Amino acid sequence: MSGAGTTSGGAVPTPEELERLAGEAEAAIAAAGDRAAWEAVRVHWAGARQGRLRELQALIPRAADRKMFGQAFNRLKSRVEAALEARDAELARAEIAARASEARVDVTLPGRRPPTGSLHPVTLVLAEIEEIFRGLGYSVAEGPEVEEDRFNFGLLNFPDDHPARDAQDTLFLEDGRLLRTHTSPVQVRTLLARRPPIRVICPGRVYRNDNDLRHSPMFHQVEGLCVAEGITVGDLKGTLEAFLTRLFASDTKVRLRPSYFPFTEPSCEVDISCQLCHGTGCPTCSGTGWMEILGAGMVDPRVLENCDLDPDRYSGFAFGLGLDRVAMNKWGIPNIRSLFESDERLLRQVRG
Amino acid sequence: MRFSLSWLADYVDLGEGLELETDPAGRHSTRRITEAAQRKASQIGEKLTSVGLAVEGYPVQTFDGGGRAASGAGEPGLEVEVTSNRPDCMCHLGLARELAVALESTLRPPSIPLYGSLSSDGSSGAVVLEDPEGCPRYVARVIRGLKVGPSPEWLRRRLESIGQRSINNVVDATNFVLWEMGQPLHAFDLGTLPGGEVRVRRARAGERLVTLDGKERELDPEVLVIADRERAIAIAGVMGGLATEVTAATTDLLLESAHFDQRRIRIAAKRLGLHTDASHRFERGADFGVCDEASRRCAALLAELAGGVVEEPAVDAVARRPRPVAWRLAGADLARFTGADVDASSIERVLSGLGFAPRAAGDGLWEGEVPPWRAADFEPRRPRPATAAPAGAPGEAYPQDLYEEVLRHVGFARVAPTLPGLGGVDAGVNPGHALRGRVQRALAGLGFAEGIHYAFHDQAADDRLPVVVRAGAPLALANPLSERYAILRRSLVPNLVAAAEFNARHGAPGVRLFEVGRLFPGGAAEEIEAVAAVAGGPAGGPWDGPAPCDLLGLKGIFDALLAELPAGPFEARASELPGVTPGTGAQWLAPGNLVVGWFGRVASADVPFELFAGELLLSRLAVEPRPRRVVAPSRLPSVRADLTLTHPLDLAWSVLAAAIDAAPDPRRVGFRIKDRYRGEGVPAGAVATTITFEYNAGERSLTQDEVNESQSRLAAELERRFGVAREEPR
Repeated sequence: MSGAGTTSGGAVPTPEELERLAGEAEAAIAAAGDRAAWEAVRVHWAGARQGRLRELQALIPRAADRKMFGQAFNRLKSRVEAALEARDAELARAEIAARASEARVDVTLPGRRPPTGSLHPVTLVLAEIEEIFRGLGYSVAEGPEVEEDRFNFGLLNFPDDHPARDAQDTLFLEDGRLLRTHTSPVQVRTLLARRPPIRVICPGRVYRNDNDLRHSPMFHQVEGLCVAEGITVGDLKGTLEAFLTRLFASDTKVRLRPSYFPFTEPSCEVDISCQLCHGTGCPTCSGTGWMEILGAGMVDPRVLENCDLDPDRYSGFAFGLGLDRVAMNKWGIPNIRSLFESDERLLRQVRG
Repeated sequence: MRFSLSWLADYVDLGEGLELETDPAGRHSTRRITEAAQRKASQIGEKLTSVGLAVEGYPVQTFDGGGRAASGAGEPGLEVEVTSNRPDCMCHLGLARELAVALESTLRPPSIPLYGSLSSDGSSGAVVLEDPEGCPRYVARVIRGLKVGPSPEWLRRRLESIGQRSINNVVDATNFVLWEMGQPLHAFDLGTLPGGEVRVRRARAGERLVTLDGKERELDPEVLVIADRERAIAIAGVMGGLATEVTAATTDLLLESAHFDQRRIRIAAKRLGLHTDASHRFERGADFGVCDEASRRCAALLAELAGGVVEEPAVDAVARRPRPVAWRLAGADLARFTGADVDASSIERVLSGLGFAPRAAGDGLWEGEVPPWRAADFEPRRPRPATAAPAGAPGEAYPQDLYEEVLRHVGFARVAPTLPGLGGVDAGVNPGHALRGRVQRALAGLGFAEGIHYAFHDQAADDRLPVVVRAGAPLALANPLSERYAILRRSLVPNLVAAAEFNARHGAPGVRLFEVGRLFPGGAAEEIEAVAAVAGGPAGGPWDGPAPCDLLGLKGIFDALLAELPAGPFEARASELPGVTPGTGAQWLAPGNLVVGWFGRVASADVPFELFAGELLLSRLAVEPRPRRVVAPSRLPSVRADLTLTHPLDLAWSVLAAAIDAAPDPRRVGFRIKDRYRGEGVPAGAVATTITFEYNAGERSLTQDEVNESQSRLAAELERRFGVAREEPR
């Protein structure tokens, strides 16, 4: 392509002519109404092979004052490039605006959800408890659900033929074993398998021969055990306070009341300030302002001896918490049995 | 257990507020229940609760007799949960002892006449102790010339105030002493005892006795009885016999106040299914020391109420004395163990008040003996081999048992909270627990809701669906809640199918449920941790656009789950399984052809959609503790090319895939199935499978010619081995 345009044909334009060309180019670029026009004007001016800029650049060696011509050319080139770029951005914005009006979607329509699942409330409560105790340096221990009498009762200082066993309505197997009535046998198994210091929590399913509106024959406990030299009642109290004020509201009050369990001495029931009324008294807490939450105590010296540990050297504490009640409390689940009937309408509402 | 506040007031000063009246004999009663009285009751209840005797209610006993049924008339009561280690608190005097310490007051025990008794080692005169283990002490006191009749009002009210019924003056007197001092007593009509003699022995096999409730009971040698020379007349510590019962005609009686062995009474009560106020106390441990005192207390009442003459001396036969238990307490050890700073005067006050009679034994050191009424809760320390105690020496109490006594009364509030001074983290590891967490999170992420079900189901469920590991018969419960819960499960699937049916009944168009739990293969086989899932119908609404679940959809869930776990590779092998629709069942195989699970379509489930299920035994997966390593991808994009092979329908994908794997090509980096097609152009009995191959030469670009060459070589090989001719399009 040659001979097209006012400055072709070999004559070297003056800097003033270049200045005028810049104005011409800017006007043409600004006039490009769409992407195709812009492309045409770009090829005309800045095309890599035969654009006007390229042609003018080729004239530099022939200019009388090459320096002055070169500077004028560079000004022209920058103005053209800047104009192209600016117009390109304007066109792009216009295009986006145009597309948007065509592709309008009612964004208030529900999204298309990929299927999402849910974890069981008990799993979520346990995960929370585990995280708290991992932070306190505890590990997780587990044991069998079908237990021998000695682990569930005997070594835990429940004598044979003692009424203390009545408190735990036991489901027995025909082979003489039983379904563990609490997670405490894992304490004994841990104390027999390892030497102190020991800090474990033992979560799991437990079973009782009990089935009514408030009781389920299967439920969940988590047992905590800390045995070392010099563990005190204060350590038990401090650990429970640290635990319960993280699991429940941070201003939760914790109260220890003396009680009795065969495997701890001293033993206590632990109450927390009612999570509903914050201690002022309401129907949920029977007006007392307190909710019974777990049982605890110092590991009975007889249990330590049963596990070949010298109670004059070692001491420790243990506690046991029902996970199901905590889950029910947390999510407002009214009936313990609804935890175990897998109604997806309930399960899928549960979020951690 | 019910207690009367005015009765407690006989032994301890409860302070103002109850509006007590006092009769000439010093017995207290309440005529009216005022608000102040109720406030007082709850104050006392809180005190008792704070020392370990949880008060669970404040029942009010109203009276209709005596024309006093004015409004508000009645006795304020306490409902106390007495734990099984505190038989001493199952009576008013015992509870008053705790209350006196809690209120920093003084106990006022009743004054009891000193009727004479003749103590003897072993059997004596009218009392023969044939089983010294079962009955170490028996006090027999004779009271003559009684007139059986109604009890006076104060006694009737006392018993009614704790929910007991008045019977006659003799029975009421024994019951009064039971609820006052905790000692069960029994009155025999002396006229029915040949020679006035009683023997305490084991029952003979097949021996029969009609008890006071009119039932004939068959006894056996595990049961301890009171007998005359020939036959059993009462079940020791449990219930008397009808033949020797006190009747309106009785004038002379033998009053029994004995000590029976806890275990022996428990066994008898359980065997006979007979639980009484007496057995309740004896099986928790009665007070060896109180037998004679309680007998004298009752005798005095019988003299007062029924005009009886107490014969002296009574027989107090002792076959075996309990070993005393000595205790020692160092204040510094107490402070170290509890983390509470307890002053010496509090220690002394609490232990004295509770009957431990502390003697100062040096600086901050006390010692004494455990009172007999607390013996059951102070089982002595086992002898340590190095320090064998001489025979007959007192037992040694665990100091922790004493710490508890002090701490109960000074209160846990005095203990400063601390954290154990242990650094680092515990040494225990539990990979199984971590694996369970991964599985739960993975399946929840795949759209499944986690359920938890009972670990038991009925026998039919065990037979109906596949069980991977059977070790003999399933574990059966000896005392199941019902036949529905008769055996321990060996598969999680039956409960999940039942849950799917539950959801379908409640209108669910589809289900996606999983459970992680233990399986019980049977016998002594170890428990197996497993995961199972059921799926059927769509996972969401029509708007969300998911297709209903099908078999490969369910398999894909397991594929995705298994891919999460650093184990495997796993493969599925077609398998006919019970309860699974023929042609849809498969077993999951781990390396070495170990069966680790199954999946398939559930043949019969009461749901309006096809239901698929699968199970995986997590305990059997050899999960590696370390994460899997990755292969660094090429810097250059791969070239993909499709190949469609028409082959017989019964050629398994696994065979085809193995054939591709067996035709090595360094440029081929992967392949996956794209589509399967049956229909026009594909002959009957055949299927067209389209596979996408991926080629990559790593550091350099592949040319199309190279890809074509690889692809046609493989195509020719697969065609030759598996191909069938395609039909010409019509």
